[in-house]
Amino acid sequence: MISPVKVWRRQKEIRKILGKKGKVLIWTKIFTPGSDFKKYAPYPVVLVELENKEKIYGQLVDYEEKDLKIGKDVISILRKVRSSTDEGVIAYGVKFKPLK
Amino acid sequence: MSNVIGYYTTQFGELWEKSLFDLVEETIFGVLKQTNLENKQIDAVFFGNMLAGVLENNLHSTSKIAEILKINIPIFRAEAACASGGAAFNLAKSYLDSNNNKNVLVIGAEKMTDYSPEEAITALSAAASGEEQEAGLTFPGLYGMMANYYLEKYHYTEKNLAYVSVKNHFHGSLNEKAHFRKKITIKDVLQSPYVAYPLKVLDSSPISDGAAAVILTNNYDMIKKQKHSAIVLASEVITDTISLKERKNLDEILATKMAADVAFKKAKINRRDIGIAEVHDCFSIAEILAMEDLGFWKKGTGGQKIMEESTMFGGGGNLVVNTSGGLKAAGHPVGATGIKQIGEIFLQLTKQAEKRQVENAKYGLAHNVGGSGGTAVVTILGV
Amino acid sequence: MVGIVSYGFYIPKYRIKTEEIAKVWGKNPTDVKKSLLIDEKAVAGVDEDSLTMAFESASSALSSVDVDRNKIKVVLFGSETHPYAVNPASTILAEFLGIEKNYLAYDTEFACKAATGALISAQALIKSGFSDYALITGSDKGMGKTHDVLEYTAASASVSLLLGKDDLILEIVDFETFSSDTPDFWRREGMRYPSHGGRFTGKPSYFYHIENSAKSLFKKTGLAPKDFSYGVFHMPNGKFPVQVAKSLGFSEAQIKDSLTVNYLGNSYTASALIGLMAVLEKAKAGDLIFLCSYGSGAGSDSFVLRVTKNLEKNRKEFTKIIKEKKYISYPTYLKFMEMI
Repeated sequence: MISPVKVWRRQKEIRKILGKKGKVLIWTKIFTPGSDFKKYAPYPVVLVELENKEKIYGQLVDYEEKDLKIGKDVISILRKVRSSTDEGVIAYGVKFKPLK
Repeated sequence: MSNVIGYYTTQFGELWEKSLFDLVEETIFGVLKQTNLENKQIDAVFFGNMLAGVLENNLHSTSKIAEILKINIPIFRAEAACASGGAAFNLAKSYLDSNNNKNVLVIGAEKMTDYSPEEAITALSAAASGEEQEAGLTFPGLYGMMANYYLEKYHYTEKNLAYVSVKNHFHGSLNEKAHFRKKITIKDVLQSPYVAYPLKVLDSSPISDGAAAVILTNNYDMIKKQKHSAIVLASEVITDTISLKERKNLDEILATKMAADVAFKKAKINRRDIGIAEVHDCFSIAEILAMEDLGFWKKGTGGQKIMEESTMFGGGGNLVVNTSGGLKAAGHPVGATGIKQIGEIFLQLTKQAEKRQVENAKYGLAHNVGGSGGTAVVTILGV
Repeated sequence: MVGIVSYGFYIPKYRIKTEEIAKVWGKNPTDVKKSLLIDEKAVAGVDEDSLTMAFESASSALSSVDVDRNKIKVVLFGSETHPYAVNPASTILAEFLGIEKNYLAYDTEFACKAATGALISAQALIKSGFSDYALITGSDKGMGKTHDVLEYTAASASVSLLLGKDDLILEIVDFETFSSDTPDFWRREGMRYPSHGGRFTGKPSYFYHIENSAKSLFKKTGLAPKDFSYGVFHMPNGKFPVQVAKSLGFSEAQIKDSLTVNYLGNSYTASALIGLMAVLEKAKAGDLIFLCSYGSGAGSDSFVLRVTKNLEKNRKEFTKIIKEKKYISYPTYLKFMEMI
């Protein structure tokens, strides 16, 4: 079970980076995930440089294969980021989706 | 100056019958026997291990080793993710730099196969930043990002990477202690399933159990009595940011570059003097980056140079790389790897490498990396 | 006058076609489509839930107006698929939206009318002077058991409404509500999927409550169906809203724009509100809209809404947005709904 305190502290940071546009710096696609991410596999992970130069990692969702490229414009959105146990606090966090 | 006078390694692989401390015990008594030393003659022990705390709630290893060795001396544990072994060795050398006439035992060990691959992958990702973990980036994922970036920047394909695995598997077939003894082809690598694009199963080092140890000493009488010895000319550790995204450049491991520069300066030799090297090939891309960052190949040329096969045993080149089989084929019991690398250089320089003996190597280099490049250890030995 | 200042909606990208589901169970897709009048429904991704969708629709509603978020002192979250059985999603939503802490928040439940009931309470809190604004959300990742009619109808979506008293785009002219204890559709604690009484969900439930709620409002206001440009009803399937509209005296033309169920499915608490979203794409200043929700258990809220001249400059695209979709297979649907 993820510590609820860790989720709480993290969510304050997440608020600041929601709804931000950026470009993909590097990407990969994960086929063999760790336990908390089995539900989402296979999934791409991108490193994005936001307009304010901040760099953020996140999964890329609602994408087509052609969106997986360096330089692609994306925007940060709110999604569930890891599936802990059925008992634990839900971890919401940042993922990215491609912009047209 | 400190010398390595002995080396012992267990088999690397899926060692169902042995627990972590079974492996540690086997290794301790193995290396003592090799060097004809008694436990009483050991003045300090340094132990490298990454996952025992995370996977099996097993800490205070130092005291557990004391129970095995049955002596009361200083014992220390080092952890730097996959560079735990190299870091332990570095601390041991530093200990000898400030304590005369001592014999030090350095052990690296890891037990990974008691757990499912997902549990092991999750545990290994403890070496990544919290943000990287939250984004679902596994180790293969981080190296996958570096590989993807490198292949695109320098216009290479997955095929270039495959040459690393083919070479290291060939070397593994010559090393009885390797996890994988089978040779593989470029086609095998390219057809293996993806782990984290563009890295595939056969681009990736396995999950293995194993332990390795060396004895280090600065007691000249001891060195003279020993059959084999190699001088430790340099051992340097450099750390860098934990997050891949905070690094200056995404196509190099800066910690490697800096550690290598300091090590070569201290050892007072040049890159071309190195005849044998063990570099950190946790993934195929890592060996290519290592060869560039250590200064053997120019940045960006690795993809082409690996295809020339000059670093393969019997390839006719002046530098042979990863005769142990590397992490890929010898296996990667995380804490043990750094020690195995140094041990392999020791075997080569003291002409004990049997089927894979490289001729005329006077200087050897071992390169151990932690995480996605957060720690790098470069060790240079000479005879 | 209290009313709607701004609105936002979110419909997930994915769709599953009725025939994709029907062929798994060996049913004739044409028969199913004829009986339910649903061609396809919207499905949220595996990492989406009622909260993430509410954040999207609420962000949209708040981004189109310049409102001091600290003046939003009421945040109500209506759903039947709350992320937690105990723990308010309304405060998670408010926190992510940057609404600071002197606000009243609670989560509401009344099957598909959780949001419209909250709307009634919220407008009272504005009228009484407690708050200048109120944020209401109806958001669901609708679940249905496999091999059950709900599998074709239960869908995902979210609608958020920002209520206020100035610069309204829609005035809440009047409203009525009708409630009873009618167990037509329910979900017990700890059960994943709702259960329902089959045909019992029809005449004594949906029709009885909507008709009575609507008639009470017509009586109260002296208005009749012919006075409205649009009628929007809760849509559990494609047939019920058409039938109830007709029985009340609305024409096909008045309700055709609101029938989002045909191509989006029934998004439970967001259902009638999504119909309203479709209508707002076209409605003109001065139009009267009749909005009538239904919640199993059971009850119905009806509203007379008047479109103001402010809608024009705050109008949001609907038809174009929902055209951006991707079809998924049945196994992917089960994966997204975490049923496998």
